[in-house]
Amino acid sequence: MTVANYFLPGSLPEALGLLESNGPELLVMAGGTIAMPLINDGISLPRQVMGLRRADLDRIEWADGELRIGATATLTSLVAQDSVPMLREAARRSASWSIRNMGTVGGNLFAPPPGGDVATALLALDARITLASPRGTRELPLSEFWTGFMTTSLAADELVTSIVVPGGPGETTFIKFGRKNANTPAIVTVAVHLVRHAGHVARARIALGAAGPHPMRAARAEAAIVGTELDEAAIAGATEAAATDCESFEDAVASEWYRRRMVGLFVKRALSDLARPATGRGE
Amino acid sequence: MNLRGSHRFGAPRDRVFAAICDPRVLMAVIPGCEGVEQVRPDEYEGRIVLRLPGAVGSYRTHVRLVDVHSPESSGLEGRLEGSMGSVVGRADFVLREAAGGTAMEYSGSGTIQGPLARLDSRFAERLAESLIGQGLGALDHRLATEVTE
Repeated sequence: MTVANYFLPGSLPEALGLLESNGPELLVMAGGTIAMPLINDGISLPRQVMGLRRADLDRIEWADGELRIGATATLTSLVAQDSVPMLREAARRSASWSIRNMGTVGGNLFAPPPGGDVATALLALDARITLASPRGTRELPLSEFWTGFMTTSLAADELVTSIVVPGGPGETTFIKFGRKNANTPAIVTVAVHLVRHAGHVARARIALGAAGPHPMRAARAEAAIVGTELDEAAIAGATEAAATDCESFEDAVASEWYRRRMVGLFVKRALSDLARPATGRGE
Repeated sequence: MNLRGSHRFGAPRDRVFAAICDPRVLMAVIPGCEGVEQVRPDEYEGRIVLRLPGAVGSYRTHVRLVDVHSPESSGLEGRLEGSMGSVVGRADFVLREAAGGTAMEYSGSGTIQGPLARLDSRFAERLAESLIGQGLGALDHRLATEVTE
């Protein structure tokens, strides 16, 4: 079976209209880096496909103290922005040049683990996503977007239109560990965002990628360091909590046991990195 | 493909069992379900539309309840068939009365045929577990809502 119709809407209203008129069997594609391998391998056999590349959803704007990223902004364009360094690093560590040129930030939210490096960084940054449908627009915290492995709270008539990253104080670190240094699926991705007052951690976000059915926060690990000076005991507690609570899995690159061990190791490494004075971090 | 899992419901066992056998309830809780019809006393047919990243498709489903021991246990033999291939299999579940509700344990196995079979089986199992978890969660929520109404 071949694709019977390929739609290329020139605006969001046109895209929403096409989704409404064609129903949930319309395959929505942005960069195509998830869909095209499945289609080329004959696993996915859509009759109707809609590409969003010309729907005017690719802008990255800093306004009112927030970074608004259009859903079809490419990962390469995220590398080029300098407002949020952790997002630049997460995009830079994603896949290869060619994939980054095609792959989009919105698409990264749908990448099944071990994909989703940028999504993990966005989760640590308390990002919100905007969803549009003919019924209107709604915004929800990214933490409420995923419902399971490859499943989300996106309704059948909705599209992701943008991702909003709040500004504000804080320190961040991002580590992706894979079998190679570049162009590699993650064994684990750790993204941390901390706010400290008078040397004590006032607010902590620890997001893990490739350590469960979707990017997820390590809530007990966060609680283990809030109120502390990020000392060795606090870091050890967070490390233990993250390794215990993660929903490790086996795939072609790592066993369940090894992945869990690496979650603990790289949460420890990320927090230890932040515990050191800035001048000692090699930044 | 082999599956095994458990779920805890807040509702008593007889209500959980009855809900699993009610096509109206099944239609409401199965992810992407667009219709369920009871074609014989223990047989159901339906249609499921799954919108997954990179792959969308509709599937015809046929499920038959076998070895029914209400309200303790039952088996389900089924077939799910669509353009991306088919899954034929059997699942069994046991319901036990537990403090404040019902504990379910289930296991199942299936054979994937067609284009879907090219997926890594671990990948297919994780997807199936995710969809089952969502369906059981929705069933639990529905039963809890009915209790409080």
